[in-house]
Amino acid sequence: MGVTEQGLLERDKDTMTLNMGPQHPSTHGVFRVILEMDGEIVRTAEPDIGFLHTGIEKTAENKRYVHCIPMTDRLDYLSPPQNNLAFCLTVERLLGLQELPARADYLRVIMCELGRIGSHLVWLGTHALDIGAMTVFLYAWREREMILDLNEMISGVRMMTSYIRIGGVAQDATPQWLDGVRKFVDHVPAKIDEYESLLTNNPIWLDRTRGIGTMTKEEAMNWSMSGPVLRAAGLDWDWRKKRPYSRYDDFKFDVPTQDHGDIYDRYLVRVEEMRQSREIIKQALDNLPDGPYKIEDNKVSLPPRETLHTSMESLIHHFKLVSDGVKVPRGSAYVPTEGARGEVGFYIVSDGSNTPYRMKLRAPSFMGIPGMCKMMEGAFIADVVAIIGSIDIVMGEVDR
Amino acid sequence: MGLMDEAVDNIETEIDNLKLNAKEALDQLGAEFSGAVYDSILTTKLGKVVGWAQKNALWPATFGLACCAIEMMAMANSRWDAARFGAEVFRASPRQADLMIVSGRVSQKMAPVLKRIYNQMPEPKWVIAMGACSSCGGIFNNYAIVQGVDRVVPVDVYVPGCPPGPEALLYGVIKLQEKILKEAGSEKARQRVA
Amino acid sequence: MTNEAIKEQLEATFGSAITHSEMTSHGELILHVALEQFLAVMEDLKQNKDFDYLSQITGVDYLEQDREPRFDVVYELYSLTKDRHIRIHVGLPEDEPTIPSVYHLWRGADFPERELYDMFGFTVTGHPNMKRLIMPEGWEGHPLLKDYPLTVEEVAFSFNPDHKSELIKTQEDVKADPWA
Repeated sequence: MGVTEQGLLERDKDTMTLNMGPQHPSTHGVFRVILEMDGEIVRTAEPDIGFLHTGIEKTAENKRYVHCIPMTDRLDYLSPPQNNLAFCLTVERLLGLQELPARADYLRVIMCELGRIGSHLVWLGTHALDIGAMTVFLYAWREREMILDLNEMISGVRMMTSYIRIGGVAQDATPQWLDGVRKFVDHVPAKIDEYESLLTNNPIWLDRTRGIGTMTKEEAMNWSMSGPVLRAAGLDWDWRKKRPYSRYDDFKFDVPTQDHGDIYDRYLVRVEEMRQSREIIKQALDNLPDGPYKIEDNKVSLPPRETLHTSMESLIHHFKLVSDGVKVPRGSAYVPTEGARGEVGFYIVSDGSNTPYRMKLRAPSFMGIPGMCKMMEGAFIADVVAIIGSIDIVMGEVDR
Repeated sequence: MGLMDEAVDNIETEIDNLKLNAKEALDQLGAEFSGAVYDSILTTKLGKVVGWAQKNALWPATFGLACCAIEMMAMANSRWDAARFGAEVFRASPRQADLMIVSGRVSQKMAPVLKRIYNQMPEPKWVIAMGACSSCGGIFNNYAIVQGVDRVVPVDVYVPGCPPGPEALLYGVIKLQEKILKEAGSEKARQRVA
Repeated sequence: MTNEAIKEQLEATFGSAITHSEMTSHGELILHVALEQFLAVMEDLKQNKDFDYLSQITGVDYLEQDREPRFDVVYELYSLTKDRHIRIHVGLPEDEPTIPSVYHLWRGADFPERELYDMFGFTVTGHPNMKRLIMPEGWEGHPLLKDYPLTVEEVAFSFNPDHKSELIKTQEDVKADPWA
């Protein structure tokens, strides 16, 4: 511990200090870790983060609630809808909105699960690339492009959709979009099988992942790991099941778990999660209710555009909402949700004004890094890259 | 009438003869055409040829910062295929790269690192500021973010967008190629390698 | 054990150290704990009430709300085995914001406690590696304090070649927040 710049030059030690990052292709962003090496074995791993610190939490205190939504996209930029959802759910709880129209919830679920699949595809591609399987990378991005096209269709942007808004979603889904999602749902299972055929029984993949980076259930809980890491260690914990939000209790899906808690198990859990997400999207499409796509309370969500020309009240609401924003009652709230990498939630303190008084993101990657560095201790240098990949960190939400 | 007609006939015959001669000459030339190109000597500046070569083989450094890095990866993938423009060989070491795509927001903590990586790249080198954040700070106008990477390194092409799509980044690469070709052989290009 | 029972037990054990408590309709138990008894409450929660998971630690600066004490630290705790959710609020005074570490109870407290120091300047006693986490070492000030400026800068598209050679603006160049 306590490695300094000077320490890199010390030669009278038995160990060697190795700097990895912040510019390293396998750290999935700008993560830096200082490894104390004994031969090929890592003795200690000291993380250094903050290279992507964006000051989002501070900036949010000066922005209106609606303006915070695009910033939440840029936290976990691999699955933006889940951040939007976590933020909007918390604001809605502060506003005291008990229930949204069913269509809004279903559209939210579809977007979130598409986001989860897209995020897992990036994880699968880069993780496999780090370990040396280039083909999976190209295959995984092929399917991700379909999701990005769907995002573009519904929100106009490929990645940062900001589609989920306070009180509903930004706009209604078009029949063309729903057709597109259905095509994707029909298309993707065969492709997941294809990835599995490349990796699951691949001897190189097994050698590089089995029994490496192991974390027991108790350790994982103690180190505040969440999401697939926790489930791979054998704990059946999923916020979608435990505290259903956004009508997740309408859908039938399994929470995949494994027992060993190594890199291979995390791989299996995530691949199965992609299948389950696909199941959820399929059910949501089949049972998509008609009706409004956002609440009709014009103090929270914008009135329909066409009424602005005929209704004075709508015009006033529109003007107030756009120029002043939503006023949220005093109080604080936290709603845990299940993101692609684990528990995502915003702790928001409101002082009754139209800006958050304090907004704090509970980021699974941020909480996962100390545990990840603990996994590295005692591992081979070559496994460090595999361990980083298996936790699936996104530096946007680590540094915020 | 007589004189005039005779003159016109003469001219027409002359033109036909010339056409025949020209065709013969062209046929002859065609036979030796391929050989002629290889044997011919062009005069140009070496700098122009080097610039032409550099433009078609840009090697970007693998330098992903934030969200834009994901779109940068998408650009290298099969659908957008940056290889069509010779810019797909992402190099992990800055010492092997000549293009730095600053893909994402640059924080105050990252700025010195970025500068060091830029300094490690051999000349000639170019920088693309990808996205709103690296061009001007984007939506993050605060204590943590450098308001434009041009405060740290000189930028050649700015690509707007949040994040810019792969097609926008490809357009940026093409613009950079035009710039390299235009600059090739000039005093500015000479200073780069001097 | 229900939230009600936990609350009653804690109030019986720690008495007036639990200054305020409420239960939400979402299964959360919210407790405000006095700083003196804070560590004892956390140890009791971990050892006797099965709160085996620390989800996050948040600092809040109530400067603009004119409240005593100025700071709040919020702990989000779950029992993943027993499916319970509790939130602990601890007030910290302005003149000496010091809080004991819970790193020995939950290893997950490592980063959030360092973040508390980095972003708010709280001293966390008993943490093994207390130094700046996110901001660069040598950074002045703690950004999430309400009296730290957001530093909005006028955006200027820089064509000035002299300007590019500067690394970045220094803290002195920073103008006062025009939004404040």
